[in-house]
Amino acid sequence: MSTELTITVRPLPVADEQSAPFWNAASTHVLALARCSRCASFSHPPDLVCPNCHSTDPGFVFTPVSGRGTVRSWTVMHQSFLQGFDVPFVLVDVELVEQADLRLIGRLFDGPDAPLGIGDAVTLAFEDVAAGISVPAFTLEGPR
Amino acid sequence: MSGRMAASNRVAIAGYAQSAVERHASTSLGALAVETARAAMADAGLGDGQVDGFVTGSLFPTSGSHAAEDGVSLVTANWLAERLGVNPRYAAGFQGFGQIPGAVSMAVNAVASGAADYVLMHRALHNPRGRYHENDMREVRGVQQWTAPQGYFGPLAMIALTYNEYVQRYGATREAMAAVLVEARKNGARIPWSYWHDRPLSAEDYLSAPMICDPICRYDCDIPVDGVAAFLFTSAERARDLPHPPVYVSGYATGSPTTRRLPMHWPLDDVMGVGAETARRLWAAAGVGPGEVDLPQVYDGFSPFVYFWLEVLGLCPVGDAHRFVADGGIDSDRPGSIPALSGGGALGNGRMHGVPQMLECYLQLSGRAGERQRERVSVGLACHASPHFGGAVVYSAEPF
Repeated sequence: MSTELTITVRPLPVADEQSAPFWNAASTHVLALARCSRCASFSHPPDLVCPNCHSTDPGFVFTPVSGRGTVRSWTVMHQSFLQGFDVPFVLVDVELVEQADLRLIGRLFDGPDAPLGIGDAVTLAFEDVAAGISVPAFTLEGPR
Repeated sequence: MSGRMAASNRVAIAGYAQSAVERHASTSLGALAVETARAAMADAGLGDGQVDGFVTGSLFPTSGSHAAEDGVSLVTANWLAERLGVNPRYAAGFQGFGQIPGAVSMAVNAVASGAADYVLMHRALHNPRGRYHENDMREVRGVQQWTAPQGYFGPLAMIALTYNEYVQRYGATREAMAAVLVEARKNGARIPWSYWHDRPLSAEDYLSAPMICDPICRYDCDIPVDGVAAFLFTSAERARDLPHPPVYVSGYATGSPTTRRLPMHWPLDDVMGVGAETARRLWAAAGVGPGEVDLPQVYDGFSPFVYFWLEVLGLCPVGDAHRFVADGGIDSDRPGSIPALSGGGALGNGRMHGVPQMLECYLQLSGRAGERQRERVSVGLACHASPHFGGAVVYSAEPF
């Protein structure tokens, strides 16, 4: 799922040396997260030291993940403190299936009226916010 | 090391001053800090040149597009010392969250070590013109690039996720949280310097307020203000020679999580897990337990913190705070209840961070609370910030 590209005043991420592989992958609608080359654990966001094995040379490799996960919490935003967001919108705190406690926060495309509960399954989506810039988001997974 | 704090009850508060708490002060924050500091020194009976230590936590806690400028939107220890004409033997700032227990710990350590004899601890908070947390950034660099592009930004969205976890897990209702707001504003309405003086809040007002970040509404957040408070710390021996009854610092504890998280992401299990360890450290350092505290003052800059602190301190079972407050458990006018917001907290005073909690402990334990004076209070406890990033201090009217 993707959204129509319009000129946005939403704040856009500025990739840096560490985050560039993440945003490059996102622009092709792939979620790639930093994985330590020493202990193979994911870190999101990545850090200078691996949060799991504490290696100062984690050699993070951005590795594609499924983007499937479960809802750990959510909020309905009725006011945005940033420009360019139409309210209300839903933000979900998602635990990804690849690793315990690996979290990603993003918009839920289903909207504020969709029934939502802790533990609900979600799947990855992307918002195309500007040319070459896409931001991870989620949709509720249908009945399996 | 996990036993009783070596300096327990050896350092005391000897005096204080609290400015008016206003939406926008008529003077600069720096001038207000200088005036408040002078008033605290005079209150403690100290003359010019006696204060030789200055500590604070100076964070300007906004996510908005506002400049952080010393003397204008924040006041550091060194800025204040210079304007008071003092070359301090000791001046330091606490950098973490929980600025009040953090700065108190530095004041205690400075006095106990002999780094300074009379330490002025202050907290200056500013409400800038314009929306407090609004930010017009068009590009996001650094750590916020992982969340702001999605619209996750600022502390209200942060606490909304944590609070909704609590609401979903334990079935907490808005009616229960209304009891917290009514209690904070009831007590704040009785305090002459409070922004909310003479302005209590009804449960109906709370329940009819629109959501900002559901389940957080406007009243769940303290209101930004200009205000300064200052406290004078010295040794227990020196304090006994000063005009007011000393209030002793029995112990303090802080903590911070080790789990890597997205910016401003505070899962409930982090809050409660690290908070439980902070509480354990506090009881060990102070040499008391929750049953011996007459006057616990929980932090309430966002209303859900009241639940989290009540539970990590063991004042009610985990998951039960919402029922506890709904049943009048923190009603300061009801005999037998725990007066956890008797000082009005931040919700009942304005965004003074953990100052109202600390000030209530000081005023009640020194017998200086005037018409609000409570009977038979001997041990107080003042919390600040989230249990997993902040801390707490135990105060006593008597050394033990």
